[in-house]
Amino acid sequence: MFDPKLKEALGRVQKPGRYTGGEPGSVYKDKEKVDVRFAFCFPDTYEVGMSFLGEKILYELLNRRENWWCERAFMPWLDMKAEMERLGLPLYTMESKDPLTAFDAVGFTLQYELSYTNILAMLDLAGIPFYSKDRDERWPLIVAGGPCACNAEPIADFFDVIQLGEGENQLPGICAEIEKAKKEGGVSKKELLLRIAKIPGVYIPAFYDVEYYEDGRVKAITPNEPGIPARITKAIIKDLNEFAPPTNFVVPMVGAIQDRASIEVLRGCVRGCRFCQAGFLYRPMRQRDAGLLNRAAQELCANTGYEELSLSSLSTSDHGQLEELLDDLNEWAPKEHVSLSLPSLRVDNFSQSLIEKTTKVRKSGLTFAAEAGTQRLRNVINKNVTWDEIEKTCTIAFNAGYTSVKLYFMMGLPTETMEDIEGIAETAQKVVDLYYSLPKRGKGKGVQVTISCACFVPKPHTPFEFVPMDTAETLQAKQKHLLESVRSRKIKVNYHDSTTSFLEGVFAKGDRRLAPVIVEAYKRGCYFDGWEECFKYDTWLQTFADLGIDPAFYCQRPIGLDEVTPWSHMDYGVTHEYLVREYQKALAAQTTQPCNRACHGCGANHLLGGSCFDYSQNLV
Amino acid sequence: MITVRISFEKKNEASYISLLDLQRVMQRVLKRSGLPVWHTLGFNPHIYMTFACPLSLGQESECECVDVKTEAEAPDFEQWKAALNAIMPAGIVITHVGPVQMKADLIAYACYCITYPAAAAAALDAYNALESAPVEKHGKKGNKIIELKDHIPQVEYTTEGDSLHIDLCMPAAQELNLNPSLLTGFLEEKFGLPAVSANILRKKFLTADKQLFV
Repeated sequence: MFDPKLKEALGRVQKPGRYTGGEPGSVYKDKEKVDVRFAFCFPDTYEVGMSFLGEKILYELLNRRENWWCERAFMPWLDMKAEMERLGLPLYTMESKDPLTAFDAVGFTLQYELSYTNILAMLDLAGIPFYSKDRDERWPLIVAGGPCACNAEPIADFFDVIQLGEGENQLPGICAEIEKAKKEGGVSKKELLLRIAKIPGVYIPAFYDVEYYEDGRVKAITPNEPGIPARITKAIIKDLNEFAPPTNFVVPMVGAIQDRASIEVLRGCVRGCRFCQAGFLYRPMRQRDAGLLNRAAQELCANTGYEELSLSSLSTSDHGQLEELLDDLNEWAPKEHVSLSLPSLRVDNFSQSLIEKTTKVRKSGLTFAAEAGTQRLRNVINKNVTWDEIEKTCTIAFNAGYTSVKLYFMMGLPTETMEDIEGIAETAQKVVDLYYSLPKRGKGKGVQVTISCACFVPKPHTPFEFVPMDTAETLQAKQKHLLESVRSRKIKVNYHDSTTSFLEGVFAKGDRRLAPVIVEAYKRGCYFDGWEECFKYDTWLQTFADLGIDPAFYCQRPIGLDEVTPWSHMDYGVTHEYLVREYQKALAAQTTQPCNRACHGCGANHLLGGSCFDYSQNLV
Repeated sequence: MITVRISFEKKNEASYISLLDLQRVMQRVLKRSGLPVWHTLGFNPHIYMTFACPLSLGQESECECVDVKTEAEAPDFEQWKAALNAIMPAGIVITHVGPVQMKADLIAYACYCITYPAAAAAALDAYNALESAPVEKHGKKGNKIIELKDHIPQVEYTTEGDSLHIDLCMPAAQELNLNPSLLTGFLEEKFGLPAVSANILRKKFLTADKQLFV
């Protein structure tokens, strides 16, 4: 059944079930009978990739077309990569086991800046040249989409096509052009790209020239082909109800990290937290109807056999019909032994009835994102959460029997001082004290409060894109100060490595001159950079130095409010003027209300062609 | 309530999933099937399942089984089989569903068919010429030395074209359970015959008096 070489490799590696396919729900077709073959590549391990909802959406959408076949490929872990190289096995897809070179298009999802080298590793394993300019019609079209597409400039030269925004219409549009060109025959790569460029949200990096000032800043980004727009506007689904969530998942047999049924209840977010890139990229907020969601959830659980259902989104409790949806779900879920989880709850509208409705079957830990330790700093970042709300929420949770609370914070936020760092420890201490002040707390049980502290990385398309990132030294000093400020054994502190965050910051705001650095670092053995055990910071720094590029230029320098950024040709709907306005309000510690209460004129409503919300009803 | 034995093959893709993975797969498949299987009681109700004699990762089998319970009065086992086969992952085929006849602790031997490339003959001949073949067996109670020759004095094989076949019965009881990988591992270590070149297929289980286990 398997190729003898593959069988040999599988016999030598850990968890071979990651490389075999055949999972329930995977789609098999006769390759002789399909017109378009698409390889959906996730540039990290199987366990991470199989947790990704976007892949499930697009896998179902593409495979619904009888004559298209979407298959999956993942980055093999170190042992499998070594075996494949030793045995000369090219990177293949899970379903047909065909090498990536047998496909019409190979698509990568850009979820995380530190997976960029894995993209090169996957292309390399498949024997595909890295640079778009080195590939003619005989090679698959290499495409990319996902959040990092909002500034994929550091890797733009590797891709033929980059998709901005939502893929539900866009990716089928690209496949349709490929099908048409194949049937016509003799269509050049450039001609095909010109046709694909007409699809909303499509960015063809080769059709833009970038000029730089001598000091390294971008001077101008201009199209070099007629008919190519100066700015690319992201693709958007105006009405999410037109696309029901996927009701079939490929169910992994070796455990994925997120191994559960999941339905996307809404897209976008009304909150406007100034650090949050997703909050700006996915505007405006659109939600699906409770009835549609309930039907899709029940069907999904029936089709997969999952015992846990997650209602996912950037902020699930902002769904206008959440209580109604939970009531509907609770009609059938307990009977079917399905437990509900709401991963993105907010401290400020978490209610008694919400907690009752989500814990009918199973009780898990609570996680809250407070993000900053003092009210002043929370106002700066527009995380409009107050201590009173945290107190109220934790009281409800503790009275309901919860004994562990995880609090998410960031450090390195704009205007942050050591006082704000102490505020993180104080907030956690107040949660501990609150627990012991409650007479109804779980008898004989202690409380566990975990502080999880990430390093803030300023991201493009947010009001903080102008802000320099803290240096590693500053971040380490803050981490040390936090540890010293915590005095209770009931509080556990986790924090992120500041060096990986630095590289993330460089790539997040980088430009096209970083492509050779990424290629060279890959050649020197950098991949799986997001994995602590594989991250080679010194190799990265040496590579930057050898190629004469200063990484700090990209992320530790304030960006002028009128500067041309590497991503200024990407239009995600939010205007530059709005980002500047929000940035100035941040410096003055002024907050902005959620946009379903009042419109602040960010500009994203133009994507829908009207108002985002019906403000006349005054719902909230 | 009766106990139902679901017998199945585990081959190809499915041979690369561990027992832990298999339990999860079966749990979900049974749930999807909607069959009236019994759930454990308690805070975390789940489908009651017991697997007999777990198979090593990478080995194939024609004789795996999992036991579940049902409160159904007169279950239609052919319908169970069809319902499960319709949703099984690649490599798992349900061969039989029926009430349990023998308890799993009656298993005394497991019979395997091992396939090697024909060139393996030299290593097997060398094994057959040996007086003693001690191997270290790793167990829960620590490691112990097993004399392979006590259980496999001679390896009999047949060659057919490019491949070589061995039929082998090994103890598979509670007190002594020997994995054929002990032999393939010994052949690799002693004679350089790569263990990964062996395809190991479990064909059947036998009871202490060499009856077919069903």
